[in-house]
Amino acid sequence: MTSEGHDHDHDRTAAPMVDEITDFEVLEIALRELCIEKGIFTAEEHRRMTEFAEQIGPTPAARLVARAWLEPEYKELVLSDPLAASKEVGVDWLHPTGFGTPSDFTAFHVLEDTPALHHVIVCTLCSCYPRPILGNSPEWYRTPNFRRRIVRWPRQVLAEFGLYLPEEVEIRVEDSNQKHRFMVMPVRPEGTEGWTEDQLVEILTRDCLIGVALPKVGVTTNAVTETRPAIHPA
Amino acid sequence: MNNSGNMRSVEQTTIAPLATIVERNQVWSRMAAKYGVVNPVPPWKTSLDGICDALDQSGCVPEVFSAVDRRNEEDALSATVYSDLPYPENRLVALAHSLLVRGVIDEAELEERLAAVRARLES
Repeated sequence: MTSEGHDHDHDRTAAPMVDEITDFEVLEIALRELCIEKGIFTAEEHRRMTEFAEQIGPTPAARLVARAWLEPEYKELVLSDPLAASKEVGVDWLHPTGFGTPSDFTAFHVLEDTPALHHVIVCTLCSCYPRPILGNSPEWYRTPNFRRRIVRWPRQVLAEFGLYLPEEVEIRVEDSNQKHRFMVMPVRPEGTEGWTEDQLVEILTRDCLIGVALPKVGVTTNAVTETRPAIHPA
Repeated sequence: MNNSGNMRSVEQTTIAPLATIVERNQVWSRMAAKYGVVNPVPPWKTSLDGICDALDQSGCVPEVFSAVDRRNEEDALSATVYSDLPYPENRLVALAHSLLVRGVIDEAELEERLAAVRARLES
């Protein structure tokens, strides 16, 4: 390495790292190596799945909704052929294996909210989630607490996220299963007239696309919630 | 659905090397605070996701350990044996526990490999 052109200050520019080998890091490597050696999966299969896990996030889903809000024809495509609509925002549900990941690829549906109908998604069985287009699920989505209670008391659980829906708004909880993944297309909020797609994308947070929040002018981050212990949920 | 009797025996099995890891408690929140790191999740998290996906896709894992079984055991173990661990540490240790209980890997070879990996990383 030369010092030529190396005039920046590493102390200021490099993000700090944990400079210690942790047991968990060692355990992850040990498990992976043993699985590979036993022929359960190959290093290449693991690398592809890890790359997939690293590149997914909620942005394509936000863009899909923003574009659907702006273009009626695209919205029709979103509702009639969500896999084709996903491709237009850069998500191929068949990636990375040619048939998707085992726990993801199947059928995908976009649930359209109206002023009188609100959707929220869950997976009561495990933690199925539309990962290719929405990224990895948040921790609370995986908890037995959310999974059990949202189907029984949706209005109350949504209120725990700070989402208070009037009684006249019907709430539909869509339960994912082995063959179906869902995401929510919320109603475009007031105050966004004349906005560009990029502006709309910013307020379409992950939580809005799960259905535990509504898009709102000025709100660009997810709700922060206390994760309740899930040992003996009500 | 799961057989609750089987689930109970999975939870009742104590696995020494995993118990030691829990006790040493090098969880990400603590380590990140110690070194002033702001990443919300540890660097091995996506690789763990990769292991879970690769396992779920594998035709080699016994029928009894489907993706749904794995997730159910992860929930059960995270709520009991490993309730002191946060996510994703609980996911990682629960996965190790499930693989050991099912005999996919054995305790001696895990201990040996843990030592070998640590020696390699510290060399």
